[in-house]
Amino acid sequence: MPLLDIRNLQLEFGTGKDALRAVDGVSFTIAEGETLCLVGESGCGKSVSALSIARLVPTPPARYVGGEILLNGRDVLKMDQRELRSIRGGVVSYIFQEPSASLNPVFRVGNQIKESLKLHRPQFATDEEVIRLLKLVGIPAPESRIRDYPHQMSGGMQQRIMIAMALASEPKLLVADEPTTALDVTIQAQILELLRELKQRLRMSILLITHNLGIVGDIADRVAVMYAGQIVELSPARALLQRPLHPYTQALMNSVPQLGHELDRLQAIPGNVPNLGQFPSGCRFHPRCPKAQSDCSQKAPELVEVEPGRWVRCPYWK
Amino acid sequence: MSEPAPNLPLSPRQLFWRRLRARRAAMAGGVILAVLYLTSILAGFVAPYHYETDDRDRFFHPPILPKFDGLRFVVPRWEQQAGQFKYAPVPGDVKPLHFFVKGDKYLLFALIPCQTHLFGTGEKNYPINLFGTDQFGRDVFSRILYGSQISLSIGLIGITLSFTFGMLNGGISGYFGGRIDTVIMRVCELIMSIPSLYLIIALRNTFPPNISSTEAYAMIIVILSFIGWASMARVVRGMALSLRERQFVLAARAMGATPWRIITRHILPSTFSYVIVAATLSVPYYILGEVVLSYLAVGIQEPQASWGNMLTAAQNSEHLRSYPWLLAPGAAIFVTVLAFNFLGDGLRDAADAKS
Amino acid sequence: MGTFILKRLLHMIPILLGVSLLTFLLMSLTPGGYLQSLKQNPQISPETVEKLLAKFHLDKPWYVQYCYWLKNVAVGDFGYSVQYKISATDLITARLWNTFLLSFFATVVAWFVAVPLGIWAAVNKDSLVDRACSLIAFAGLSIPEILLALLALMFAAATGWFPIGGAQGSLYDLMTPTERFWNRAHHLVLPVLVLAASELAGIMRQMRSNLLDTLRAEYVTAARAKGLPEGWVIYKHALRNAINPLLTIFGYSLAHLLSGAFIVENIMAWPGLGRLTIEAYSAKDSMLVVDSVVMATALLIVGNFVADLMLAWSDPRIRLKE
Repeated sequence: MPLLDIRNLQLEFGTGKDALRAVDGVSFTIAEGETLCLVGESGCGKSVSALSIARLVPTPPARYVGGEILLNGRDVLKMDQRELRSIRGGVVSYIFQEPSASLNPVFRVGNQIKESLKLHRPQFATDEEVIRLLKLVGIPAPESRIRDYPHQMSGGMQQRIMIAMALASEPKLLVADEPTTALDVTIQAQILELLRELKQRLRMSILLITHNLGIVGDIADRVAVMYAGQIVELSPARALLQRPLHPYTQALMNSVPQLGHELDRLQAIPGNVPNLGQFPSGCRFHPRCPKAQSDCSQKAPELVEVEPGRWVRCPYWK
Repeated sequence: MSEPAPNLPLSPRQLFWRRLRARRAAMAGGVILAVLYLTSILAGFVAPYHYETDDRDRFFHPPILPKFDGLRFVVPRWEQQAGQFKYAPVPGDVKPLHFFVKGDKYLLFALIPCQTHLFGTGEKNYPINLFGTDQFGRDVFSRILYGSQISLSIGLIGITLSFTFGMLNGGISGYFGGRIDTVIMRVCELIMSIPSLYLIIALRNTFPPNISSTEAYAMIIVILSFIGWASMARVVRGMALSLRERQFVLAARAMGATPWRIITRHILPSTFSYVIVAATLSVPYYILGEVVLSYLAVGIQEPQASWGNMLTAAQNSEHLRSYPWLLAPGAAIFVTVLAFNFLGDGLRDAADAKS
Repeated sequence: MGTFILKRLLHMIPILLGVSLLTFLLMSLTPGGYLQSLKQNPQISPETVEKLLAKFHLDKPWYVQYCYWLKNVAVGDFGYSVQYKISATDLITARLWNTFLLSFFATVVAWFVAVPLGIWAAVNKDSLVDRACSLIAFAGLSIPEILLALLALMFAAATGWFPIGGAQGSLYDLMTPTERFWNRAHHLVLPVLVLAASELAGIMRQMRSNLLDTLRAEYVTAARAKGLPEGWVIYKHALRNAINPLLTIFGYSLAHLLSGAFIVENIMAWPGLGRLTIEAYSAKDSMLVVDSVVMATALLIVGNFVADLMLAWSDPRIRLKE
């Protein structure tokens, strides 16, 4: 049994005629110790899918229309509040894009970490444990930092605090929602390095959400590419990076600069990301697709396994 | 949202109107204000009596409302009970209510001599006092209409004066910076650090105590504008500070435009949407300023009617208890302020593109 | 923190100097002149005029007068009130205390009602309660203090539950200390309620929108993601942050509060600084007008200082800036 098994997740914003479907039939699994990267442009539904794992999307305006989110075999969408609280932090922890916005500005960082400890490992809610966690995430002189407020730290340090806070409850799954986007390039590399190290040391599963295919190769075991609320390609990382199958993935790859690859020039994907709820008929990518055929606008393609472990939502992938 | 997308994108102004029309409270506020200003302009015609007309036999008369007897509106005759300080309608003794009747003389638009009133009975013994009468037997409803000419216009003139002055100062302050900026901003800070009503009295002290109503009117506008410009200048300065670094201002400067031109043609117009909203929301303060001054008997003087000095009659708690209709001007103030707040709130939301 | 307080305190001095200079200049513009009106007043003996002349040099230009005034006020001597025939210092101190009492209790009442209401409305956003609160708040924002105060007087006259204006009963001098306390408190209730009611709506609306803003903040989602119960998320994480902008607003709203107190004092005969200003104005005692304007400003500035301190205490980002 995989640690996380999302089946046919469907989520809408709003109700009735005006409802906008943000997530439309997303399915994927994460095994214990595995790292999955969820890749896509902003607005494709990847963050909402990730937040759904601990049911953190506010309802309303959101509404779960269908599907299951099985965490350790239990459906998150059917849990009551008490059970939900125990899995939040207890099984799945989050780090977010903007560390300065995710830390509460009026509380000391040590206390914010201790709050997690009190909830999930009360016997360890001590300064010593907080200092150990800060050391684990590579904060220098942690003894002097626990009484700091978030605004007294740099962005990179703040993100390390967020990671320490997420790890405090010893979760099985760490969901990192664009954890490096708001940081400087050198700091980005450090944070990614830290995540990879922690993954090996703690044998944790990671769901990393990013719009940057460039960082996928460093850390991911498998990759899911999302477009307009659907997964269009799901594949082992190495295979996907060597030979992307879906036209969208290929276009994404061509728009990312890569070392050691001779490319004539970077290619932007023509057209715009479709707005929520205004998805084209048929294949949602067809207006921007270089390989589009005449029937692409009519028939919505299914996600099919075309090679062992490789799933693609395009009949013309060859 | 589900409508088909229009072919042409809407201009910011069209978008603004569309968003404003969608706000019912704002539209209601606008309509109420339109009606209030219209009746204020036509006060002499709409009011059944002149503001000075008094009836010494009918002071503190309760409201007289026309009744519908199946064919027409009629107004009953009220009589004072023998030996009692109380009025009661005389049963069966009624006169019909007429429209466009002849009555007190007045100047329409302060120019045209006129005698026609919107409604009335045309007979002295059958008065119609919709909101009752005051301690001199003057018609409260008519006086509210005449008073609205003062209260409503003071708001608009005051806001225009002080905001023009405030915008200019703010624009100059933000555009030039340096010493000019320091001086103007220090002055603003001074004015804003005195609680406004105390400053109003200090300023009132510099004028002679007994002045005519016209002079008092001008004085109130000067005093309120003297205080009001400061907050506007502060905000416009902040906007000018950021606007002066923008490309279109740099371009104008590169073309050799004078600072005056840059400030009045390029910087200030960019602050208009903020200014309009702020002005709408500030008008109540000017109206209330006049009310307080006149209430304290240091503003508009009797017999001229203003919402403030009409409330002075309600000061006596015995009067207040026995003749609650004396509070009618207070209700007029409330409705006006509410309408401005509704409209201002709607304008702000509609101008704020984020929502 | 020490430097923060010191800086704020030092900032107050130039403002007070500027305000007193400005009001003095305005006083010198009084038609006919202050000295002239003193001399013409038959109620004032020539000796009194002489005494004032010697102390404040009223025959000199206004800036010279200002210097003498400043010198005296700096040692706490406001001179002599020709109208009340007592020391102006005592008069102003008593009036200042009354205005402070009124404003302080009105603020306390307004906050104790408005903050919980605002929280309730925000937590139950778009519910019937929320809509009702918004509507009442909107109406409340538009009711002028004048009308509220007159309605309160009407209420007092109709029910007889509260004294009709004033600060103490007619037999105050004959009362025991306990009776005096209750008598004062009884007189204070209605003015406080009127002033509080006029402040309430603004605070409530602010509280609601602040809390709604912070409830959308990422750190609130992060707090939920930790597994915190919803109550903790709202009352610990969101509320602590929603209070801070309210404290900033509190500083600004003090000016409005004092103007409101001015109106309430004058309508409900509460002997505070606002009433004193009008009385001094009517008695043509310009010096007393200046004194009360400066004291009201001082009260406002000190109030702002306290608001700053509370904000610094509540928000580490401001406290630790220096």
